[in-house]
Parts: sequence; structure tokens; C-alpha cells
Amino acid sequence: MSFLVRQISRTSDGREIVRAYPFDAREIFVGREAACQIHLADLAVELRHAKLTLLDNGRLEVVSVGGLGFDIDGAKSLQAVVDPAAGAELRFGSHLLTVSTDGPVVVVAAERVEAVSDAIQDKDETGLFTLKGILPGRRVTAWALSLIILLALLIWPIQTYYHYQGVKKRPDSFHADSLWSSGSLSSAHAGLKMDCQSCHTEAFVAVRDTSCVACHKSVHDHADPKRLLLARAPLAWDAKLSRTVADQFNRPEGRCVECHTEHEGAGAMPPTPQKFCSSCHGDLDTRLTDTKIANAGDFSNAHPQFKPMIITSLDGPVKKERISLDMKPKEDGGLKFPHNVHLSRTNGVARMAGRLGGQFGFGQALQCKDCHTKTADGVRFLPVDMERNCSMCHSLGIERIGDTVRTLRHGDPKMVVADLRAFYRSGGPYVSRAQPIMQGRRRPGNYAQSRPYFAYFGSINYARADAAIRSVFSKGGACYDCHTVFTPPAGSDNWQVQKVHQSARYMMKGWFDHGAHKTESCSSCHAAKQSGTAADLLLPGIKTCRNCHGGEASKADIPSSCAMCHSYHADDGAPWVPKFDPTRKRERMSDISRTGKAPG
Amino acid sequence: MSGPLQRQTARVRSDGTHEGFLRHASFRWLKIAGGISLIALLGYMMIDVQPRHNGGSWYGYTLGTIGVLLILWLSMLGVRKRKMSRGHWSLKAWTSAHVYLGLSLVVIGTLHTGFQLGWNVHTLAYVLMLLVILSGIWGIIAYTNLPRLMSANRDQTTEAQMLASLRSIDRQLHDAAQPLGQEHAALVQASLDQDPFGGGIGRRLSNRYPGCMTRYAHEQILQVTGSQPRVDDDPLEKVDSLLGRKRAILARTRKHLQLKALLEIWLYIHVPMTFALIAALIAHIVSVFFYW
Repeated sequence: MSFLVRQISRTSDGREIVRAYPFDAREIFVGREAACQIHLADLAVELRHAKLTLLDNGRLEVVSVGGLGFDIDGAKSLQAVVDPAAGAELRFGSHLLTVSTDGPVVVVAAERVEAVSDAIQDKDETGLFTLKGILPGRRVTAWALSLIILLALLIWPIQTYYHYQGVKKRPDSFHADSLWSSGSLSSAHAGLKMDCQSCHTEAFVAVRDTSCVACHKSVHDHADPKRLLLARAPLAWDAKLSRTVADQFNRPEGRCVECHTEHEGAGAMPPTPQKFCSSCHGDLDTRLTDTKIANAGDFSNAHPQFKPMIITSLDGPVKKERISLDMKPKEDGGLKFPHNVHLSRTNGVARMAGRLGGQFGFGQALQCKDCHTKTADGVRFLPVDMERNCSMCHSLGIERIGDTVRTLRHGDPKMVVADLRAFYRSGGPYVSRAQPIMQGRRRPGNYAQSRPYFAYFGSINYARADAAIRSVFSKGGACYDCHTVFTPPAGSDNWQVQKVHQSARYMMKGWFDHGAHKTESCSSCHAAKQSGTAADLLLPGIKTCRNCHGGEASKADIPSSCAMCHSYHADDGAPWVPKFDPTRKRERMSDISRTGKAPG
Repeated sequence: MSGPLQRQTARVRSDGTHEGFLRHASFRWLKIAGGISLIALLGYMMIDVQPRHNGGSWYGYTLGTIGVLLILWLSMLGVRKRKMSRGHWSLKAWTSAHVYLGLSLVVIGTLHTGFQLGWNVHTLAYVLMLLVILSGIWGIIAYTNLPRLMSANRDQTTEAQMLASLRSIDRQLHDAAQPLGQEHAALVQASLDQDPFGGGIGRRLSNRYPGCMTRYAHEQILQVTGSQPRVDDDPLEKVDSLLGRKRAILARTRKHLQLKALLEIWLYIHVPMTFALIAALIAHIVSVFFYW
């Protein structure tokens, strides 16, 4: 029994060189040491790595000596017994030992199967120093990225569009075509951000008005469409060009979205710029020669004087007419009322206000708010009402019974006559007691006992009702002081009082909001303190407004485009304005909020 | 290496002086591209688009059309450089135009957006365009500076010589380490087993190899050899000095790999991102007309 060790090496061209070493021994060693019978120049092999022993039964025992172990038929092991006749493969480091027999001799062939080092292995030398193999190939990356982008951002959104055709509202979740959205929708349309088809109904067709009116059912045209076309300013060369291009691309003109632009970012829709109005209205009369609307452009310098709607006649049905403030119109609403007397700080009214202040919340003199009540929305004022706003001072009391004051009925002359006759029929307290109807004022201005100014009947102690009735309706009487009285023929009781008309709104074409002008005092616009008659129209002219307001691009404190006061789709409501008007100057707004007063 | 600068180095003027693509025809394309950018910028500032500038205004569409045509033309350089021609449309002229017109796209593309950006296909196209341009700018910087650094580092050795010296030192190490005990032999083996060209793109670009087994083996063996008297025929001493040499060779090789990676990396972004950009542009344009 003996071993034959075959050391196999290869020349550079791959030719095999075999050196054979016979050993007549029962055991031999495998190791890096030169003394080992199977000498392996392999740093992964221990100096003395393993012992191969021939057993009596002809088998071969392989035992690790240093403890590093070896692979046998691919499995790690420290000790193994193999049948040389059946053959086996032992792996030590980079070397492969193949066991076989040649008659009685056990043949162990040793061959290096791995290169000495990684660098020495066969390498693709052309790409070794480049990024090839380190990064995915450029071509692969290019096509992969392109494919992903086209699938995710083109095919998927298109699929979504066709999937939801005809659906009114999509389920609340992500929808791929929202990846096409060029910007957030305005706050008014924010709820539609995943429902692209609510506006973009047809593929490759620009958004049509039908999409808008599907929800905005009550919006009407600005004017007769034929007249609108006539009124349009002729297009400049650039506008003509862009019109021609737009026509080519099937974008008809005059669509809602031309003014109401969307996808411009969250928040309010941007306000309509002034030029959308002024391009037609700036010189409207040159194209619409029969128009009654005055030309209007920039508020600073191209806006006509205001034309409030004024009562021009009270005979028969009330007639109203829009008259320019430049004409200094007067308005007779049927009431006699001197603002100056009531707002004086020194006269009897002021003194009376001072006395009644505790009861009615007046100051040392009357103020506008003591008689004028705001509407709930704060935009305007309610009509002045006798019972609510005048009777604190102007009482119609005729008799005190216990704690209760009996009053004449306001607004009903026939009832006044009837009440007075009934009063006298019952005897009239003053007859027996020689007392006035009530102890109270005799005349306005003659105040005693801090009582209101009662109905006044001229000289007291009427023997008969007729005289009292005539007195109350005549000059110096309670009705006559404030109202126009129509005297009946002698012997008739048919006293008539002119019905009073108060206009709640004068500016019918523009919108004025008192609430938005809280920073101003009443008197900064309304010259009430100087007015001695109710016929004075206390409306400020455009000059007053221009103290603060100017055109869109002006340097005024409040640059104001047309849309601040005027509505394109005019109705009875306020014109639409965004909550925050970006044309306003931020710092000025903060000035106002800090000082409560507009600068300048 | 197949960059435009390498090609242009072969092109030398008749008077012997060299003119790069950046200076081509006294900066003709810089002037043209600068003019285009300036006109686009002035137009943007002077044209009153209501309510605000965006890609959907007439000016926005105009800039967008110019931009997409430019992008398509610029991407044709890849086709063009594979063909030869001379004169005005020599590759150098073409590359010069490519660089400067590509830079002007930053202005045209940005103005086209009207600064309205978001998480959508439109902004994706814009970002991809910027990536392509930025990688291109990096390419120019790399091509102007890195070759000098590379030749300084190579010091006359070629890549083949670098590989050969690595293999030679490995073989020597392998032989010298044969008598060593298993502990030290394993250290040397670890150095041999490690791929000198291994490590990902991060290692290549940063030239940091914290897991370098050669350095580790050297440091371990130095701890032994450093404290004992020098003996001439001590195999450990021999391995020690061989490991030191291998470290020097590796340092030069790795520096070379880093410079080469820095030189090449831009094309791995520039080219695929151009394709991605064209795909995003298709989606961008179709989407605009699909929903408009």
C-alpha cells in the first residue's frame, strides 16, 4: 500500500505539467510546509494542514491537524473517511485534491483551481478602470427611466381619464391625472382637485363654458352678446396673432376661463384685472354710439362722476332718476329734517341728548349712530323709523295713566283724529282741572323736567277736539314739524300726511360697502353737520373717494381695480372679490390694522 | 474615453495653437446663447401677462416651444458625434453650440415655468432638464481639470502597467508568505483575495476604502516587525515591505479610479436623464393638450 502524489500545474498557454511523487507510507501530510508530502503553496493552507491515513480496510482517513478543516465533495469537514476506489474530491484553500486508485496505489492529484490573487484572475481589462459594472449601463438606465416616466405620467393618467368618463364625482382617493395638474386650484374649486373631468370633459378640447354653468347655473351674461361683440376694442397685432393661433388650436374666445383663470395656486382666484373692463369701457361710445353708459377706465382719472338714483317726484308713484352729483341734485323724500340742528354740540338737542343719555345711550350730543341703524350685513343702513329712532325724544304722548303714556298713532292720520276725538268725548282731563294735556314741552327747545318733547297742540286748553286736531297738523304741531301735511277743506277731518321715502341704496351700478369703510368716520364723507335740510343729498362725490382710492396701477393708498365696486355678472349682490386682494399694499394694510386709520 | 474634449485635442489649428470648444470662433455660441437668454429675460419682464406669468400664456407657450426644440436639437449631439464633418458644422462648432445653447435653456426653461412649481409632470420635466444641464456643467469642469490631475497621478504608467504591477506584487506576496504561520498567512491571503477594483460607486468617487485588507494586514504585521530587531532573511520582514509596496500601488490605482469615475460619472447622468427628460416632455406636452 502506498501513495502516488501528482502535482499538476499549467503553463501560461494552459498546457498541463504533471509531476508525480510516489510515497511508500501509510500516512502522508498535506500542508504549506515543504516537508509535507502533498505540498500546497497556498496561503489558505496551514503549514501542516491535514493527515491522510490508509486504513486496514483500504479506506482513506482524512483528518485536519491544525483545525482549519477542508471541503469534501463540497461540504466542510474536519475528519472524513473516503473510499479511494470510489474516488473523492478534497478542497484545501485554492487547491483541489482528487483521490483515486491505480491498482493498490492511492493516487492523490493536487491542482490549484483558483488564481493566487483576485487581481491575477482573468479580468475584462478594457472596462476594469471605468465605471462599467459599477453603475448600471447608460442605455439600460435611459430606457428604463423613459419607460417608467411614460407609464406613470402618461399612460396611467390617460387610463384614469377614460376610466372616469361620465362619472360626476370620483371616489375620494388619489387619481393619476392629478399628476398633470399645473398648480393648485383656487379655494373655491379646491374640492374638485381629484375630479379633473368636472372641467376637462373632453380630451384635447379646451375647457368650455358648459363645464362652468353645470354648477354656476344662475350666472348671466354681462350684456347682450351682440352688443358685447360690438363693444370690444379692435385687437392689436399681437392679440390678433395670438387669436389666430388660439383659433388654430380650437380655443374659442370669450370663454369663462379667460377671466377666471385656474391652477394659479391655492387661495382665492386672482381678481379680474382692470384692462378686461377698460379695453371695452374706456372708449365705449366710439363703438357703441347709442350707449347710455359713460366711458370709464382707470378710477384715478377716467371714471365719470357718480350718478346716484334719486327721488325726483313724489306725486303719484315715486319717480327715481340717476343724476350726476355734478348737477348738485336735491332729493325730497317727504321728510323735514335738519341734520345740523340734531348734530349740534351746543343747542337744546345736545342738552336733551345729555339728559337722556343714561336711558338711551346718547353722549353729550347726538351722533349719527343714535338714529341710523346698520343693516345686518353692515353694508348699508336701515331706513330711519319713527318709533325706533325718533320717539326717544319726539314722543307722541297725550296722556299719562299711571305709569303708561298714551300716544297718538304714528303713520295713521285718521287714527290720530279718531283718538283725539275720543279723548275729548271722554271729557278731557284738562277741562275739569284746567291742565295741559300733559305737563310737557310747549315748544321744541323749551325743555323742562327732562322729559321728552311731547305732542304739541299749540296753545293748551282746547275746549273742543276740532281745535286740538287742527293744531296737531298745523305749523307748530307735532306732525307738521317733520312732515308735509295736506290740509283738508274746512269742516273735513281728512288730514293727509305726505308719505316719506328713504332710499336704502343710491349707487345702483356700483357697490359701496359701509362695513369696508369702518376706519373712516361718517363725517369724513358725509357733510351732515352742515346740512340744514333733508333735501340735501349728503352723498360724497368721486373726489372724496379718490382721497384713498386710485386706479389699479396707481400709487393711491388703495389701488382699486374696477372689480372692487363693479361686477361683470352684475346682480343685486356685492361684486366678487378675492378675500385678499394682492394688488393692495401689504404694509398699508398693516398700518390700518395697527392704527385703525388709513394713512394719508 | 470618448468625450468631446479628447476628440478636440486632436484638432490643432494650422498655426499650431489649440482652440478648445469653449473658445470656438471667439465665443460665437456664448454670444448667441447669451443674446437669446437676455431677450427671453427682457421679454419676461416687459410683457404683461395676466394674471401672472406661466407656461400657459402666449409667452409661456413661445418659450416652451423654443425650449423643446432646443432640447431635441441638443440631444442630437449623441447622433452627430458619431459622424464626421468639417467647417462651420465641425464637431467642435457643434459641441460649442451644444454647451452654450444648453446653458441658455436654464433661462428659457425657468421663465417658461413662470416659477410655478409643484409635484407634477411639468415640474418633473423641469427638474430633469436641470439635472441634465448640471451634469453637463460638471462634465465640462471635469474635462477641463481632471485629465491634468490624472496624468500627474499616473506618472507615465499606463492602466495596463498598473494592473501588471498589482499582479506582480500579489505573486511576490504569495511566494514570500509561504513560510509564514497561519495567522500571518491568512492576513496576506485576505489582501490577495480582495478585489482592488471592488467597492461601489461611493468608494470610487470618494477614494475611501475603510475595509482595505492590504492596509489591515500591513498594520497587523507591522506590530510584530516594528518591535523586533531587523533580521535579513525573516520572511515576515519581506512580507512587511511587500505589503508596503502594494499599498503604494493601490493608492495610485485607486486615485486613478477616482479621477476616472469623476470624469465619467456625468455621462451616466447626462445621457439617461436626457432620455428621461424627453419622455417627461412627451408626457408634459400631451398632458397640456389633453386637459387644456
